[in-house]
Amino acid sequence: MYGRSAAIVGAAHSRLGEVPGSTAIGLMADAAVAAVADAGLTPADVDGIVVRGPDDEYAFQQQLGERLGLDAAFSTSLDNGGASQTLAVILASLAIEAGLATTVLCGYARNSWTRTRQTGSRRARMNQATHNRRREWRDSFGYFGEPATHALGAQRHMATYGTTKEHLGHVAVQVREHATRNPHAQMQTPLTMAEYLDARPVTSPFGVFDCSLRTDGAGAVVVTSLDRARDLPHNPVVVRGFGSQNNLRGWTVDDNMVRTAAQRSGERAYRIADVTAADIDTAQLYDCFTYMVLAQVEDYGFCPKGEGGEFIAGGALRLDGAIPTNTSGGQLSEGHVEGMLQVVEAVRQLRHEYPLDRQVPDARLALVSGHGGNTVCHTSLVLERA
Amino acid sequence: MSAPTTGTTGTTTGPHDGAGRTAPTPRRVVPAPTTESQPFWDGCARGELLMQRCGACGRWWFPPSNRCQHCWSDEVGWHRLSGRAEVYSFTVFHRAYAAELAAQLPYVVAVVTVEEGPRLITNVVGCDPDDVHVGMAVQVAFEPLAEGVSLHVFRPLTAAPPTPSA
Repeated sequence: MYGRSAAIVGAAHSRLGEVPGSTAIGLMADAAVAAVADAGLTPADVDGIVVRGPDDEYAFQQQLGERLGLDAAFSTSLDNGGASQTLAVILASLAIEAGLATTVLCGYARNSWTRTRQTGSRRARMNQATHNRRREWRDSFGYFGEPATHALGAQRHMATYGTTKEHLGHVAVQVREHATRNPHAQMQTPLTMAEYLDARPVTSPFGVFDCSLRTDGAGAVVVTSLDRARDLPHNPVVVRGFGSQNNLRGWTVDDNMVRTAAQRSGERAYRIADVTAADIDTAQLYDCFTYMVLAQVEDYGFCPKGEGGEFIAGGALRLDGAIPTNTSGGQLSEGHVEGMLQVVEAVRQLRHEYPLDRQVPDARLALVSGHGGNTVCHTSLVLERA
Repeated sequence: MSAPTTGTTGTTTGPHDGAGRTAPTPRRVVPAPTTESQPFWDGCARGELLMQRCGACGRWWFPPSNRCQHCWSDEVGWHRLSGRAEVYSFTVFHRAYAAELAAQLPYVVAVVTVEEGPRLITNVVGCDPDDVHVGMAVQVAFEPLAEGVSLHVFRPLTAAPPTPSA
């Protein structure tokens, strides 16, 4: 069993939003340098790199090592989509506990805005990175983009549990409320339910405000041993536990799109961390679409399955709600860096870094989730203020 | 907020080829079968929906593979399905992700559960998108895409024959 011997000691993100002329690896380097500085460490201290970049960039960890002049005892790039960034922290923790490395840099970077400007259509970009199998079994039906995949889940959830469009709207509105207090957020103006309901439809039941943002940006954290962490400037954030579940047979199999991989990943994380949902003070959930927040508050046990809509309508995600969630604005309103900013935000909340209007009071335990890899990979972290 | 893709009428053009010419873009992407999936597409071209069933354990799976997903046997056989299915979930596209799709909006992408068990991605056609619902009974139909290539789509099941219990 994992001995809870690893801690996050540095966390940072690059510029977010539209960063003209940016490259993913350049943004990654910016976030990495800032995270190491935040940790109070030097380049010579880093002997591990676990990162991910855009799907069409091979061996991103090698690019980063070259750019930052680092060799590594332990290093790899990950391929679990949006579940990779939390998985990076798990691998770093295991490597440190096993003695494979002492200090591991974890991160993710993308330059989606800049790429869109350079390559034009979404389709052109998607085709580059699209799996042959997906091309054969999806494209002929005009099935493009991840909104549709998650919309299928939302529609099924609605038919099964009576979830409504307004329920999804409460996710968008409450997460935006957090973003109004985040000076780095891409969307800082409040969103009303009326504006949400009037938004241009994308793939039913989703409109534009159900979808996460297009972002140039990177995030990074530094993981080291808890022993070493105690000598560093910030209050250590202990990696208390973690879990994962990969429904590799597919999103359309069983009821995977309604009862997602978060459920079993969460059970494992709670067991390893020896906590329950009731112990968690704040959740930073992978919110590629509003529906994924709704599904996850159920799957992680913050409310019973099928009751996520009413639970959130009651204000659950707010700073004073039942489970303050995505307190930076998340990918729906802060910026979409594939879950890496969720890790950064959890660290900052657990350090009690924020002014009162943004700080979850006395936050001691945070849950962080990652979801992706054709919507079937899921990873969970339970982080604790030391 | 960016405007939705325009160009709902007229012909669309595809990317330039090496000689600087533009080629007409087909209304749909034509699938490129693999050696494993070729029998499926051959079936579609004949107006038959086929799937693989295991010769050892008798279970079905999709998409095509060289081994049974359930018991790992390589006794793979192709069999014709009834063509009847039920909508498991669906989404209505209001946004064109490629120019040639703009003229088709709104259209329905659905996951259907075929009577034999597996689920597949398809379009529900032949009815108003607003009438599509979870649990809706549908029946396969085939849409010609190119010479020798047809696509399996589903229509509302009308005049349903009595379904004997298996």
